[in-house]
Amino acid sequence: MTSVLAVSDLRKTFGGITAVDSVSFEVRDGEILGIIGPNGSGKSTLFNCVLGQLRPTAGEVRIDGKPTTGMRPCDLNRLGVSRTFQLLQVFPQLSVRDNLILAGQEHQGSMASRLFGRSDAGLGGAAEKMIEFFRLSHLADEQAGSLSYGQQKLLDAAMAFMAGPRLVLLDEPAGGVNLTMLGSLRERLQAYHAERKATFVVIEHQMEFVMALCTRVLVLAEGRIIAEGAPHDIRRNPLVIEAYLGH
Amino acid sequence: MTRMGAIIVGLAAIAAIAAPFFLKPFGIFLISTWAVLTIAAIGLNLTLGYAGQISLAQGAFVGIGAYTVALLTPLGVPFFIAFFAAGLLCFAVGWLLGYPALRVQHHYLAFVTLAFTTLVFLVLRNEEWLTNGIYGITGTPRPTLLGWKTTAARDFYFLCLGVLAVLSFAIWWMLRSPWGRAFVALRENPIRALSLGLDTRRYTLMAFAIGSSLGGLSGALHAPLVQFIEPNSFALGLSFNLLLMVIVGGSGYFFGPFVGALIAVLLPEWLRITQGYYLLLYAAAIMVLMAFCPSGVLGLVERARIALVGRRKEPATSTLAEGAGP
Repeated sequence: MTSVLAVSDLRKTFGGITAVDSVSFEVRDGEILGIIGPNGSGKSTLFNCVLGQLRPTAGEVRIDGKPTTGMRPCDLNRLGVSRTFQLLQVFPQLSVRDNLILAGQEHQGSMASRLFGRSDAGLGGAAEKMIEFFRLSHLADEQAGSLSYGQQKLLDAAMAFMAGPRLVLLDEPAGGVNLTMLGSLRERLQAYHAERKATFVVIEHQMEFVMALCTRVLVLAEGRIIAEGAPHDIRRNPLVIEAYLGH
Repeated sequence: MTRMGAIIVGLAAIAAIAAPFFLKPFGIFLISTWAVLTIAAIGLNLTLGYAGQISLAQGAFVGIGAYTVALLTPLGVPFFIAFFAAGLLCFAVGWLLGYPALRVQHHYLAFVTLAFTTLVFLVLRNEEWLTNGIYGITGTPRPTLLGWKTTAARDFYFLCLGVLAVLSFAIWWMLRSPWGRAFVALRENPIRALSLGLDTRRYTLMAFAIGSSLGGLSGALHAPLVQFIEPNSFALGLSFNLLLMVIVGGSGYFFGPFVGALIAVLLPEWLRITQGYYLLLYAAAIMVLMAFCPSGVLGLVERARIALVGRRKEPATSTLAEGAGP
């Protein structure tokens, strides 16, 4: 099976603290990989290193076999790697529709052609579809900042999918979302996954969410991978239980 | 734009065309100053209001533009060549000034651009061989365009107004293109923008370069308008004044600079009867406005409209009227 993302021996230190310590893993085409671990175990740092927000101290990242270590986030995004952030990241003053068009427009043509081309960069239809897919139609023209937290979370996820990415990294998509919204978010993610055959990596605390969504789970503690396997095995793994319940 | 908005803009345009027929020469000079300063303020509104990059250097670019024209035209360079040269030069210098903005933001960036303004002032004052120093340059001629002489005050005003109209349209076009959305994204959340494939570095430099080139084009009209330029006109005071125009008018509103420049040009004249107190009153009025409505006069208008007609039904598809907010 081909690996979409391959991380080998990745390390990231901040001063004397090692946040990510020689982590290696692969993400296979079409899977939904969950990454769990207690607070401070290095999950988000790992994401940020993979996505170019942080430069890793050592190690290598490959996307589709191509080395991408140290590439800028915007260039990675144009290679088809997309992400959401732990904290909400929508553009509050733009409408829901404009948020989505923005999320796709840099993939259309060149900078010069976008200046002279259509205002919606030819993405009006695609944005409309995405709005329907995430059931935000009644909110399409509202400013994103006026939406409820859960609705903004949906928009946030929708934006990550707008450019038809090959790999999506979701950082705590369920954080702070109420149970009803959580169900619909999970269901929409699964539907998207089934429809587009996209590959996901999900960081999450909410165990039920991970168990229901992911096909494989990695467990991170103190910057290292301590377990890997199918969701139901992970749940019973004594190392994992210890890492979560403390020493 | 709403229909109401279109009507207001249409009426304002008619007023701007009719005004010089009812004004004395000094009045025409004032509205010409308004048109020229509005161009510079539109540039700053792009950099600051849309792309969120604070700059205290816009006055310096007006200076660079003015000196470019004042130095080139005596050499026999046609005005319109000098005019575009001023814009291009400021585009290039603005691009370079954008580099610090890639590293520092907010008040640190304000200090960097402030230092640049001081630097330009010192060059204009001290490099006498080029700029004639504190004695300045007089008598930059007003151009003749396809046989149309713009020497008379009213004709030159129409030239300024025409340039303002053309540049406004160009900026409007840019802001309604995907670039406008990208600039707003840069202002609101550069990290997220970067993760969505926006080359934030290039857009930041572009915002600086285009904003600065408008400053230069404004200066290129300033020299033949005033017919006397000297370094002090382009010192920090002008940069602050332009910043004030953008913020008072409504930063991030397309028509903010038009309103802000009008207030900045007319209010001191209207308050002249109060003699020495006018700056005091002007300052007080601005403090009150900023305390109660940081989004400027157009923010105030928007608030009033929402209070009167309720929330807009109009789709919020345009990035032109969003406003930067507080």
